[in-house]
Amino acid sequence: MEHEVKEIKKGIKFHTLNTDKFKTNLFAIFLSTKLDRENVTKNALISMLLRRGSRTMNSQEEISKKMEELYGASFDCGLDKTGDNQVLKFYIEAINDNYLPQHNENILKIVIESLLEIVFDPYIENDGFKKEYLEQEKNNVKQRIEGKIDNKARYSLERAIEEMYKNEPYGLYKFGYIEDLDKINEKDLYKYYIDLINNCKIDIFLSGNLSDDVEKLIEENENIKNLQEREPQFEVPKIPEKKDIKENIVTESMEVTQGKLVIGLNVNIDNDEEKYWTLMYNSILGGSANSKLFQNVREKAHLAYVASSTYYRFKSIIFINSGIEISNYDNALELIRKQIEEMKQGNFTEEEIDNSKKGIIAAINTIDDEQDTGITYYFGQELAESNVSEEEYIKKIENINKENIVDIANKVQINTIYFLKD
Amino acid sequence: MQIIENLKVKEKLYIEKLQNGLTVMIVPKPGMKKKYMIWGTNYGSNDNKFIVPGEQDVTEVPNGVAHFLEHKLFEQEDGTNSLDTLTALGVNANAYTTNDHTAYLFECTDNFYEAMDELMDYVQHPYFTDENVEKEKGIIGQEIRMYDDYPEWRVYLNTLEAMYHENPIKIDITGTIETISKIDKDILYKCYNTFYHPSNMAMVIVGDFVPEELLKEVKKRLVKKEAAGEIKRIYPEEKEEIVKPEIVQKLEVSNPIYTIGIKDVKKCDNKDKNELVKKHISMEILLNIIFGRSSKLYQDLYKEGTIYGEASLDYEFGKNYSHVLITGMSSDPRKVFKAFKERVEELKNNGVDKSDFERLKKMIYGNYVREYNDVQDIARMFLSDYFKGICSFDYLEEIEGINVEYLNQVLKDVFKEDKMVLSIVENG
Repeated sequence: MEHEVKEIKKGIKFHTLNTDKFKTNLFAIFLSTKLDRENVTKNALISMLLRRGSRTMNSQEEISKKMEELYGASFDCGLDKTGDNQVLKFYIEAINDNYLPQHNENILKIVIESLLEIVFDPYIENDGFKKEYLEQEKNNVKQRIEGKIDNKARYSLERAIEEMYKNEPYGLYKFGYIEDLDKINEKDLYKYYIDLINNCKIDIFLSGNLSDDVEKLIEENENIKNLQEREPQFEVPKIPEKKDIKENIVTESMEVTQGKLVIGLNVNIDNDEEKYWTLMYNSILGGSANSKLFQNVREKAHLAYVASSTYYRFKSIIFINSGIEISNYDNALELIRKQIEEMKQGNFTEEEIDNSKKGIIAAINTIDDEQDTGITYYFGQELAESNVSEEEYIKKIENINKENIVDIANKVQINTIYFLKD
Repeated sequence: MQIIENLKVKEKLYIEKLQNGLTVMIVPKPGMKKKYMIWGTNYGSNDNKFIVPGEQDVTEVPNGVAHFLEHKLFEQEDGTNSLDTLTALGVNANAYTTNDHTAYLFECTDNFYEAMDELMDYVQHPYFTDENVEKEKGIIGQEIRMYDDYPEWRVYLNTLEAMYHENPIKIDITGTIETISKIDKDILYKCYNTFYHPSNMAMVIVGDFVPEELLKEVKKRLVKKEAAGEIKRIYPEEKEEIVKPEIVQKLEVSNPIYTIGIKDVKKCDNKDKNELVKKHISMEILLNIIFGRSSKLYQDLYKEGTIYGEASLDYEFGKNYSHVLITGMSSDPRKVFKAFKERVEELKNNGVDKSDFERLKKMIYGNYVREYNDVQDIARMFLSDYFKGICSFDYLEEIEGINVEYLNQVLKDVFKEDKMVLSIVENG
């Protein structure tokens, strides 16, 4: 897979991933903007409103019919929190022309034009979004916010993040806040949208079996021509400042049969290189079936079915997740603490290190074989303003030794212990 | 090996039934680094009552044995666990149990043959002791509890409860804490010996391979087994009627979650594979015409704020069951149900719109093509279709021949009001 990137205008980049491995082409537009309390709900609303209609496709029904007509091109939107940024993501995945029953259609061209129109030329009435659409999407956003509680494991994780980042951008919920909704009207929101489009970082991705003229197709598109140059307003992930923290223990009650224990860890790294070490640390602690958490909490003590940890490299934090019998809280917590301690003492083997390396390298090797993963990888690089190829990434992992991992283990500090019980 | 080629997606399937009865399917993917291997047995949570080949009496086992076996097979006699061994190789290993099959799998980029050694070794060498069986009850117990808190899983199981009287499809795949407490190593061995015979199993491998050479590698790793007779599976008679039209459970959720279920009692002749496939495709087109993103029903309910997003639209079928499941979130599930029934009646009276039909047929075709992007999707699809007696390529071939008349007939056969149920999970 060839990754090429071109700055079309200042602040707007076009990335191509040329590959013949897939039956589909994947076209994506990402808008990145700083997370802040004032605009978080507006951004969520915009990401939902843009799906409702564009200049020539005035309703969701028209958009859907057009996509269905294109052999079920799938149009999708996402809203992500990546470091201290809120990222609005728009995708269309469509069958490559080689796999159509008739060969005379140029689906990719229509796909590109449609998505650019949806994102940059929305349906407007009287200098504002359509009021009816806005009211419906407010209802939708409200439901998303209230829906936080439906998946108890995800809810517990969100709560732990909120506790760890009180009054900080990263503690914000990506769908925003219900109390904001009443204050937002269709005209002001449209003004805000113009502002967003003029200042956010824009990344356009196209992955698939591409012809040479795709670049022209993008650059000569009217919607692209209308975009201004900008100094993109987004947050490049920094090495977090070290803070001396006290463990914060939070317990909440809800109607659950299984308790959810989430532990948030700060990893006080000194430089970017240590992010790779932390990835290895996390893998040994709770990143796989061979990890300390899985082996000790699940396999030996039989306390849980889920016992794992996840590393969030943009914020240099790790979350430990487990679902346990509520009465086993003390046992489970003690056992988890013990695993963190074991890591500090360096009580893990060369074999565990090798195994973790193999697992991580295998994951890097699959990037080329998954269309969306390829895009996610290069977008992550883009946002971090780094340019590490897959080969270099693998080399960095191969070069990590035990001292590096113990070094990280001693930079790990428990920040928040969150427990959801009945 | 027999080669079946599909020109639409430009893929080839190599298939062979070995002498011991095992079916091996290989889909070569030149240029892909990812490789995927899955080995399954035609044995799932539905198979609780059966006659072991060579025996006279019926064997009946507690619910949840197939899933319990799935967990326990990883255990090796030397004290190691095959999941650990596979993970240590840098491969991504897993297993799952459905109502009609159990499968063991891994995905990798390197160490394929080492991983294959391990997978084929542990699936063919069970090792159960009183102690390791007891230990697993704690872990599976937490898995069961985890699902107890998933509203989507509850609403699904309740739908089946409302549709079926006796059919084992309604049994929770994991069993319950009570039923798994009765499982011991003798039960596990008996089920293993009955259902893990090569003649009851199939294997799919997808990746950059030369099929004939790969087949040799598979054969080398097979343990010799005596030919086995046919397993007689006993499924209870199921009435055509539903159990009850509505079922409600209270759980802490932000908004009610609902499933509309339709018990499909118009039995397809399972021997006629083309008919099964055609019906499945038609159901997918129909469900999208009725309640897909572009449908009037969806648009109306969305605009008035009754629903917030798309419902998932599924038609599930197996040897002895078939049903429709429509699941979503709504402020008023009963209103959705009522509007749905009205829309179905309207369509039955007026017939399906031709342009809707043509458009959604194109969409479904595109969805099938897309299944061939990823080694995992391909492998899982071929395995689960195989156990239903279907070759996955058939979907790409049969879709062409489906017309509006056929669709209207299926609509009348399946969407009967007295076969519909509504399951709701809401705040108590």
